[in-house]
Amino acid sequence: MTRVSDLLGVDVHTESGEKLGRVFDLRGELTSRTLRITGVAVGGLALLERLGIGAPESTERIRTKDVIPWSAVIRADRRGVVVRDDAEERQ
Amino acid sequence: MSKPEQIDLGLGLLDHQLVDSEGRRCGNVDDLELEGLQEGKPRVSAILVGPPVWRGRGRLGRLAAFIARGETVRVPWEEVDEVAAAVQLKKTARELRLGRGDDRARKWVEWIPGS
Amino acid sequence: MSKFLQLALGILAAIGGFVDIGDLVFNVVAGATFQYQLLWVVVIGVVGIIVYSEMCGRVAAVSKRPVFDAIRERLGFGVGLGALISSEIVNLMTLAAEVGGMALALQLLSGLPYRVLIVVGIVALAIAIWVLPFEWIERVFGYGGLCLLVFAVAAIKLHPDWGHVANGFVPQMHASEPLVFAYFVVGLLGAAMTPYEVYFYSSGVVEDGWTPKDLGMNKVNSMVGYGLGGFLSFSLMIAAGALFYPLGIEPQFIGTVAMGAQVPLGTIGLLLALIGILFAVGGAAIDTCFSGAYNLAQFFGWEWGKSRRPRDASRFTLAWGVLLALALLVIMTGIDPVMLTEYAVIFSVVALPLTYIPILLVANDSSYMGRYSNGRLANVFGLIYLVVILVVAITAIPLMILTHQGQG
Repeated sequence: MTRVSDLLGVDVHTESGEKLGRVFDLRGELTSRTLRITGVAVGGLALLERLGIGAPESTERIRTKDVIPWSAVIRADRRGVVVRDDAEERQ
Repeated sequence: MSKPEQIDLGLGLLDHQLVDSEGRRCGNVDDLELEGLQEGKPRVSAILVGPPVWRGRGRLGRLAAFIARGETVRVPWEEVDEVAAAVQLKKTARELRLGRGDDRARKWVEWIPGS
Repeated sequence: MSKFLQLALGILAAIGGFVDIGDLVFNVVAGATFQYQLLWVVVIGVVGIIVYSEMCGRVAAVSKRPVFDAIRERLGFGVGLGALISSEIVNLMTLAAEVGGMALALQLLSGLPYRVLIVVGIVALAIAIWVLPFEWIERVFGYGGLCLLVFAVAAIKLHPDWGHVANGFVPQMHASEPLVFAYFVVGLLGAAMTPYEVYFYSSGVVEDGWTPKDLGMNKVNSMVGYGLGGFLSFSLMIAAGALFYPLGIEPQFIGTVAMGAQVPLGTIGLLLALIGILFAVGGAAIDTCFSGAYNLAQFFGWEWGKSRRPRDASRFTLAWGVLLALALLVIMTGIDPVMLTEYAVIFSVVALPLTYIPILLVANDSSYMGRYSNGRLANVFGLIYLVVILVVAITAIPLMILTHQGQG
């Protein structure tokens, strides 16, 4: 059984081994009955941005372009997240 | 709800306050149980609450889990009514077996006049 | 009651409630050691607490989250727990020091033994919390604390060199004892920017159900209340600078502090000073005690609040009760309250970044705050004070050790 705490902070690599960063958060879609996981947010907001300089205006904390859609995820567990090589272009 | 709402699990759900149907605070979201990751249909299946759950939340979490008493309570995601500032639940804390720490502590307080 | 009157009364209570034992000790000793040269630091501290509390109040009113909810959500369980533990340790030290201060003031007023008065003080506080509605607690202790205005009168009657006093508001450094001077800078800032006051305020905002409509009131409350409270700090430092500095006295007892009012104003000055100290410090003790309980309850998700019946928020009730009991144990060991106060202020400064940074983050987060997130002005000040807080937090303990707690 995997928990969200198992995935937050683990490394994200492409199939070919390129490291993209770490799991900053998981994006989900909330319907009346379920919470579907739709993507993986990699890296994170720059430190300065988090403190307030140039903070994003929108109400979405993570800009959508930093989120890799779950369809590109090959494997996700405690050891790490592996995504397809073309994951970044597909946003 | 017409348009599905986007939520970030770590920032928008994890560690948030749980509130039952009567407005009673009954714990925080200590972790989330995920299902369907391998089958390509990932979803949050349950909210996990309780000291044993803290073991997965870092070194201080393990220490806290060691010291505290209590069991893990699994709240199936279907029990969630709404996710706002707090996570609103459909049933009372008692029905979901939450907030029992306060129930246990009540006997220490209720004998005092004016409580 | 008209809104204006309500506001005025709230501000009066805030002024009387601004001064706690840390302010008393550091402002008076600073005045005795460096006369008026540290007045500018008090200004920085007062502006700092205004910035900090306005942000926390806004976060609480808009997102309905008090400080420790925001800390756990933002820093996560592990780091958040570290922030909680350090906050609770500081809270306990501060509470014990305040109870000791109360007992000393009571001893000077009544002549009864110190140890007995410690118990009397704690029991009185517990009863006040249990029986009085919240607004009454704030009023009783706030108005009583206004007696400290006697120090403003005393400061004037002592005929300080007002030119020197004015000069003290200009940022400066004391060339011959820079380290001791720096230690007092750190101590004064720590005494002004007390986190427990902010936790307490933000929890109150959530309890009272403030909404974005109340944000204007939030700003006024913070600015006027703390600003005028800062005036009390100035009075303490100026009176001490006019009386103790020329005589080379370094006050180490609460009694000596009260003399700052007795010498120029006689017995009535002494009485008002002691009553003012008793109520200001007593009120601060209640705020500290509650803020300790709020932090625990908010971090772990328990039910909390004065608006709940004690039996419905059992763990929260037990938390503040246990804190009072632990404070009793600590102060009963015979530890000097004035020394304990200095330690509490310094440690509070060291722990300050852990609770300031998450609030700055949350205040900037549009998904929590909507259109009420930090504007440019709030961020400019917020970041300036982040730097101030970090510098002070890093230098506090080295300075305390190097200067032997300001003894030089």
